[in-house]
Formats: sequence, C-alpha cells, structure tokens
Amino acid sequence: MAQEQVAPAVPEALAAPIAERRGAVRLVAGLGRFVRRRKLGGVGLALVVLILGVAVAAPAIQRYGDTQAFEVPNPEFNPTANPLDIARNPRLSTPVILERHQAPSARHWFGTDQFGRDIYARIIVGARLAVIIGIGASLVAVCVGTLVGVVSGYFGGWFDLVVQRCVDALQAFPGLVLLLLIVQVVPEPPLVLTVVALGVLGWATVTRIIRSAVLAIKNSPFVEAARAYGATDARIMAAHVLPNIVAPIIVVFSIGIGAYILAEASLSFLGLGPADKTTWGKMVNAGRVALDLHPWEALFSGMAITITVLGFNLAGDAIRDELDPRLRGR
Amino acid sequence: MTQYILRRLLLNVVVIWLVASLVFVAVRALPGDFVLTQVATNLELADNQAAIAEARRLLGLDKPLWQQYAVFIAGLATGDLGTSYATRRSTWAELGDRLPYTLELGTMIVLIGFSISLPVGIISAVKQDTWIDYLLRGFAILAVATPVFFIAVILTLIVLKYDLWTIDIIGRPHFWTDPKKALTLYIIPAISGGVTGTAGVMRLLRSQMLEVLRQDYIRTAHAKGLRRRSVVLRHALKNAMIPVLTVMGLTVSAIVSGQIILENMFNIPGIGQFLFSRLLMRDFPPFQGTVVLIATVIVTVNLIVDILYAWLDPRIRYA
Repeated sequence: MAQEQVAPAVPEALAAPIAERRGAVRLVAGLGRFVRRRKLGGVGLALVVLILGVAVAAPAIQRYGDTQAFEVPNPEFNPTANPLDIARNPRLSTPVILERHQAPSARHWFGTDQFGRDIYARIIVGARLAVIIGIGASLVAVCVGTLVGVVSGYFGGWFDLVVQRCVDALQAFPGLVLLLLIVQVVPEPPLVLTVVALGVLGWATVTRIIRSAVLAIKNSPFVEAARAYGATDARIMAAHVLPNIVAPIIVVFSIGIGAYILAEASLSFLGLGPADKTTWGKMVNAGRVALDLHPWEALFSGMAITITVLGFNLAGDAIRDELDPRLRGR
Repeated sequence: MTQYILRRLLLNVVVIWLVASLVFVAVRALPGDFVLTQVATNLELADNQAAIAEARRLLGLDKPLWQQYAVFIAGLATGDLGTSYATRRSTWAELGDRLPYTLELGTMIVLIGFSISLPVGIISAVKQDTWIDYLLRGFAILAVATPVFFIAVILTLIVLKYDLWTIDIIGRPHFWTDPKKALTLYIIPAISGGVTGTAGVMRLLRSQMLEVLRQDYIRTAHAKGLRRRSVVLRHALKNAMIPVLTVMGLTVSAIVSGQIILENMFNIPGIGQFLFSRLLMRDFPPFQGTVVLIATVIVTVNLIVDILYAWLDPRIRYA
C-alpha cells in the first residue's frame, strides 16, 4: 500500500536510477527505504500487513467456527435415571457438558468463552470485521469529505458557509452520541450501517482538511490558466484540483482507520455493534462477566484491538510524515 | 476583538440551533417511541390501542412534528431543556441529580489526565532520543491506540486479582460522604479516562516543545545562565502550550464519550449513563436537552480557547 505513496518523497537524484529498474525491484527498494527512514512506520506497516493477512486468510487459519460451542459427553449422564435422583443431582439428565471458560491449551490456543466457544477462532474472525469496518468507514468518510470539501473550498460563498456551520455542528456533538443515534435507526444494526455511521462521524474532519488544501491551491497559476483556457468548473475540480490534493487525501484516509476501529469497539462494547457478528468490542464486554476467574476472553480481544489500532496508527503517522508533515497534530 | 467575540457568539448560537435540529430529527428517525418502550414489557397493555393513544396525547407525541419542533426550540430559547416523559420532572432537575457524579469523575479524569500527559510531553521532549523519551513516547502511542474500556478492564483485573480493594458499584459514594469508598470507585475510571482522553495532548505537546526548544530566545535564556528547569517550564512550556490549547474542544468531546462508557461500566449514575439510558428508553426531551447542553459546553470551550489564543500569542489578531 505504501510503496506508491513513498515515491513522490524520493529526491530527484535518487529517483532517476530507481526508475530504470523493474517494478518489483523498485517496490522492494522503496519499501526498504521507507522502513529504514521511519522505523516506527515500518513496525506499523508490518502489523498492518499481518492483520490484513489474518483478515484475508481467516477461514483457513481460524481452526474452528467462531460460533461453534464445544461440549464433552457427560460421564454422569444416565438416560434411565429416576426423576427423584435427577432432582437430587440435575447433571444426570444432561448428555453433554459445555466446555466453558477453559484456560489456553493446545486444543484452544486462547481458551474458551462462557458458551464454550473457541476464543482464538473468534479473535481471528474479529480481525476480518475490524479491517472491513476500519477501511470501509475511512473510505466512506474520505469520499464524502473530499467531495464536499472540494466543492465547498472551490466555490466558497454561501454554500461554503452552510457546509462549514454543519461541520461545526457535527464537531460539537460528542462522537459516541452521534454514533449511538445513527446505529439505532434499525433495531438490529447490520454491518453496513455501522460502517456508514462511522463514515458520517468522520467526514466533517476530512472536509476541513481537504477544504484548506483546496483553498491553498485554488488561485494557483495553473488553475487560472485552465480557467482562461475555458475549462468548466467541474473539469477544473476533477482534472486540476483533485490530482493536486492526492497527498492529503491519502493521509486522512490512512490516519483515520485506527480511530474508526476504536470507535466501533466502543459501540460493540455498549452492545450496539453490528448484529450477529463476532467483534472484539463485544468480546471484551462478554469477558467482563467473570473477569477475575476467567480473564482470557477480555484480555485477548482487548489486546487484539490495541495491536490493530496501533499498527494502523503507526503506519498512518509515517505516511503522513512522508507525504504531508504539515498535517501533523490535526 | 469585541466585534470578533460578538460574531463568534452569534455563530455559536447558529451552531447550537443546528445541533438541536439534528438531534431532534435523529431521535424521531429512530424506531419506536417512549410509549412503545414502556408497553413492550407488558403484553396486555400492548394491545390496548386506546390507552396508547391517550398516553401519546398526554406526552404531546400525537402533535405534528413541526409543532413538537417549535415547542422544543422555543423551550431552548428560554433555557428550558424539556420535561422527562419517564419522571415528569424537568431535564434541569434530572441533570442536577446526576451532575455531582459526572463532575466528580470528570474532575478526576482531567486532573489525572493532565498530571500524566503534561510531564510525559515535557520530559520526552527535553530528553529527546534517550531511552526515557522512547519509553514515554511508546506509552503515549499505546494510550492513543487502547480503548478506554480495555484500560479499565485491565486495572479492574489487577485490583481483583491482588485483592487491593473492593470496588463499590452499588453504594454510589460521594467524595463528601465517604471519601475512601468514592476514591476506590472513581480511581479506575478516572485513570482510564484520563490516559485515553489526553493521549493526544502528550504527543502534541512533545512535538511543540521540540520546536520551541530550538528557538533563539531559548538559547538566549540558557546563555544568560538561567537554570534549565526555569528555561523549560517558564520560557518553553508557555509557548508550547498554545497549540495544545486548540485541541481542548476535542479533548472535552473525547472525555464526554469516555464518560458514557465508563459510567455504564462502573454503574456511576452520572450524565453519561443518563444520556445512554434515556436514549434506549426513547425519553426524547432529556436526551435532546442534554445533547444540546453538551454541545453548548463544547462550542463555548472552543470560543474561550480562541480568545485565549489571541491573548497568549499577540501575533494572532482576529479581524
């Protein structure tokens, strides 16, 4: 992902000999330079690659189904037990026992949860969800935010004024409240609604950044030249403004992913995450039930969230420093 | 300057009106209303259409939407945040009951947050590229990436495992009634909220300090023979804090979001828990009113920050 983004930052003198090499070699060289220059970014990139790999390969490496409940035959089970004996010992009537709250073992690498489900399998499935949600939400936010930001910055005037006040209003909302409002529109929020809600939350910030990037270039000579040439506004925006703000677009896209994953985890933790899906936030919440005796579920799923967000944040920061250091601190 | 402040105040009124309209539309777009959530658990009542219609009439839910909207906005204009459907008390009275808890937790979050984030930011800048810097930066990066509830879970686990103290989540202690119990209840959510809420401040402060420490006037201060300590704290920190101020609005917003989660986790009957439970109950007026109130706090903080900005940095002048 990062190799094309690194290219513009390469000094001319270095870029010339590299350009002669073949694609794959160039890619590796660019990547190597990125990792050498941005050590933390390299760590982040490695984590992102690992998580993307896990998300893609989830069905192959999850070992068990994420909703499969493990049970063992009950040695005490007696199909012909006398009702009076059952009253004294209810276990006589159950043919199987759920393997609840197992500690990590060779069979269950991360143990089992309160319903006897394999925590490792659920973490792996959760990775796929986290990646879909993080990247999906950031895509939604960047698409909407860029469209609005470019139009608003380019035209200015009353449209810009109205848009900026709406952005103010969205930013005056505590983020979580807005999310809670959107995801409850349907009783059982589907995955796509969660993604859209997070995107709605994020577009305001994206619009701000894109708008200021557009303002910085909209009076450049090349834009004026295009206008003198008779280009329409739509053409100038698409062919002249947009290509010149690719750097901030890539930066806001990559830097937001971690935050969206965190926000989704909060939603899931509060019980309003995507319905019927195994997410890490839900697992941390479920793991709180018997935390002192069986901490495995909460610990592993919480660490999964932290490591994933850490990876995306580090990679995003490095990409920002490489492409557009002025956006630092936004 | 006065003109600038007046214009900003006017703009803030517009923004708050937009927030109010947004939340009004949003809650009514949700499925179900207060009456339905109340009869949902009562099968006999659920079929009694006459009673449901009567209840809706009493609450004013049968009126056309534009009328409800007009009542809501007119109320806001006079400082009336509406009356709860559930308790029939005014939102102000409801908030009054809950404000102490939220302020107790909020104050502790802010105190702990800044007493961690300011030293972390300063020390890692002063000791740039030493092992202390790496350690503190690692801590800051982790704090940004960790969900607030996960820190709370880990701290709870430690307290439970080593049996450090009992967390009283039923007694609802205050600092002025039972300080010891209150401290044991609030300390975990306060650390979690403080660390995650001000994690951004740590990183921003470090990069600002690094920039300021390279300035000529800092070299001059050193050359004059001032103690390192007073150069850093008096000369550098002051200017490094200015950009950090701009993110205060965001910090407040992050702390509010954190409080919703933490108050629910630790059964603290504050405003965060109130907001969440009233939303689930579809008790519109207190929910709307509270959101508008929080938005007012956030835009006011932003305005104060911008005014302070011009005062702290005389190079900045608002037209």
